[in-house]
Amino acid sequence: MTSGYLDRYGRVQSLCHRLPAHIQFLLAVGMVVTGLSIPVELWPVQVFLICVVFAGHTLAHVPMSYLFRRLSLFLPMMLLLSISLPFSQGFERGWEMMVAILFRSTLAFLTMLWLVNVMPFDQLLITLRRFWVPEVLIALLSFMYRYIFVLWDELDKMRVARRARSFGQGRTIHQWKVSAQLIGMLLIRSMERAERVHSAMCARGWDGHVRKLDSTPNTDA
Amino acid sequence: MHIADGVLSPEVCIAAGALSLSVVGYSLHKMKSSLGDRTVPLTGMMSALIFAGQMVNFPLLGAPISGHLIGGVLAASVLGPWAGCVAITLVLVVQCVLFADGGILTLGANVLNMAVIGSIGGYGILSITRRLLGRGRFGTIVGAVFASWLTVMAAAALFCLEFRMSWLNSDFQFQNIFTWMVTVHSAIGIGEALITGFAVSFILSQRPDLLHSSEKPAGAVGTFSRALAAGVVVALAVAAFLAPFASDFPDGLEAVAERAGFNELAAEPKILVLDDYKVPIAMHGWQKVSVSLAGIGGTGVVLIIGLLLGRTIKPQAANAEVRE
Amino acid sequence: MENASSQIDLSIQNLTYRYPGGPAVLNQVSFSVQSGEVVGLVGPSGAGKSTLLMHLNGLLPEESARSENSAAVTVHGLPVVKDHLKEIRRAVGFLFQDPDDQLFCPTVLEDVAFGPLNLGVPQQEVRDRVTTALESVGLAGYEQRSTLQLSVGERKRVCLAGILACQPSVLALDEPFSNLDPRARRALLEILKSFEGSQIVATHDLNLVVELCSRVLVLDNGSIQADGPTHEILADKKLMDDHGLEVPFELR
Repeated sequence: MTSGYLDRYGRVQSLCHRLPAHIQFLLAVGMVVTGLSIPVELWPVQVFLICVVFAGHTLAHVPMSYLFRRLSLFLPMMLLLSISLPFSQGFERGWEMMVAILFRSTLAFLTMLWLVNVMPFDQLLITLRRFWVPEVLIALLSFMYRYIFVLWDELDKMRVARRARSFGQGRTIHQWKVSAQLIGMLLIRSMERAERVHSAMCARGWDGHVRKLDSTPNTDA
Repeated sequence: MHIADGVLSPEVCIAAGALSLSVVGYSLHKMKSSLGDRTVPLTGMMSALIFAGQMVNFPLLGAPISGHLIGGVLAASVLGPWAGCVAITLVLVVQCVLFADGGILTLGANVLNMAVIGSIGGYGILSITRRLLGRGRFGTIVGAVFASWLTVMAAAALFCLEFRMSWLNSDFQFQNIFTWMVTVHSAIGIGEALITGFAVSFILSQRPDLLHSSEKPAGAVGTFSRALAAGVVVALAVAAFLAPFASDFPDGLEAVAERAGFNELAAEPKILVLDDYKVPIAMHGWQKVSVSLAGIGGTGVVLIIGLLLGRTIKPQAANAEVRE
Repeated sequence: MENASSQIDLSIQNLTYRYPGGPAVLNQVSFSVQSGEVVGLVGPSGAGKSTLLMHLNGLLPEESARSENSAAVTVHGLPVVKDHLKEIRRAVGFLFQDPDDQLFCPTVLEDVAFGPLNLGVPQQEVRDRVTTALESVGLAGYEQRSTLQLSVGERKRVCLAGILACQPSVLALDEPFSNLDPRARRALLEILKSFEGSQIVATHDLNLVVELCSRVLVLDNGSIQADGPTHEILADKKLMDDHGLEVPFELR
């Protein structure tokens, strides 16, 4: 996984991308809340809103193939969850509830997918700061984002090394054990790296207090 | 395990969100006193680690879905309850806002179920177990396995509660969805217990110093708050198995919670869970399944512990596999 | 204290260090570095080069962050103890071997600004320093770039910029040329040559030591085995063989 993965469509230019980050965020959350507030009986309105979100995706140049791929993973899970509802007392009420849940969750999911694709990570952090999220959390998110890819790469290397030395499937329990040990190994290496990073931070005057550069009108920082 | 938008009502989302916010806020404050200026690098790195670790596939005997780490207990076992809670919260936030995995309005509920219960509650169970069984390899692995399974079951119970409160005005029975949830989470819990157990076992064999040990002396306050956290988890886990019966016996949940709270400090959590298995209640079809799965789950946990500890007897073989 | 022409930037007296429960990694190390001197620190792997460097800005010993006792290391006349750590860490810029250990912010601007912000430099001046530092490492205009998408050479240079933004007078560099392709190595070398303060460079790359350093210290088994002008020390075949090194090509 490369660092471009998370922001694959984030660098595209479109009407939606050009909206200010906090507007994008409020639009998305607003749509989700609206979807939740519509009564169960008015499910055609949900369908309409879903179409609106699809239009949003088109405006943002998000490929339909990507949307359908994500939906194909999401919908079965939701179906599994809600399938027990019609099998309880009263098929009518149960079906209605199931449909309601499916529509609401699909609408919310598609809306979040829109947000995910129009708001790159650095804009997300700016938005969070604007909504009074404490500096230390933003620093943590920043740090986490920085090292996810480093760890992914290390994990990949370890997996390749393991595959090069395993000769066949092995019992499932054994596979689980080896994979869990990979995670354990990655944890150890990561914590050791965290100590080194801490030293590097101290070498540049770190004392635990998070300090941020103010944004100026003509930069994004 | 991630709850999607639309499943819970806005009111429940707000309530769960408020609760999570206060706990996470408190955790942010507490973790600075335990980690000092290492807070940002260690917690940030742990978040990245859990996030990366969740991508590792654990195949399920040819099934199209695979198991994955959740990581609450793992994070807490290294960084302690507060930083563990914050680390998992960060993972959930990133998953929601960068992957649309888990709803934005249900983020509060997800944080409550996985970060608060998973890490803080999990640490309580781990800590109490180590106090009872010793801080060595045995106590730590048993503690990690218990904590993993119990916190997943507790998350299931919390979800049932949240779901019930969301659809309060509906006049239909919740047994089936609850039973379904408990079943699924029992399996997830076994998986989590296995993964966490193996991972902690590995860390113990290589860098036991990395595992968090509390600096607080064994004073009354420290023990009490840990017992409290553990007690909440156990009560919820027990409630999970009674959830299918909840509509029949509305007081059942409260009765169990009380009993669990009082008994917790004296007895081993596991015995408590199995005790309630014997509660004589008239059972309908689905509920029999749920209770049977409780038994299987409990047995599974014991087997896992045996598996993990059995392997420590052969250090040569273990080391040979470990060298990557 | 000292007159300007022979000012001592770094002074190490009888430095001994052992890891808890282990043998001495550094044993009675003593030397000093004059203002503007560029000293190469060479020796076989495991000789203690990184450990020595980490004493120069108080990352080691671990107690220096807490203790008040006199230290074996002084920087510009200040002993490396808790009270002076902030000033010492500003004065001594430390470049770690792995840029991923040192480049911990998502954007270049944030990372290079990290040091000056911690030093309490005012916001506008921080931005100016970042611009200047990036220019001096040949990465002008890189402020908004994501650190995740830089090459190894670029990352090393951003790390160096981050240090230069603190305006240090001494550079301590741990294997600065490792993992760099020839062009990146050359670029880094030119930047280091233009640095005006003193430097101490731990490296395996003896050819670059010949080009960059006027003086060389050979560290082996935790103590200084030789200390003198580069051309003399590195051309001494017996000395090089004794300590697991090779005479660089140009001096053969």
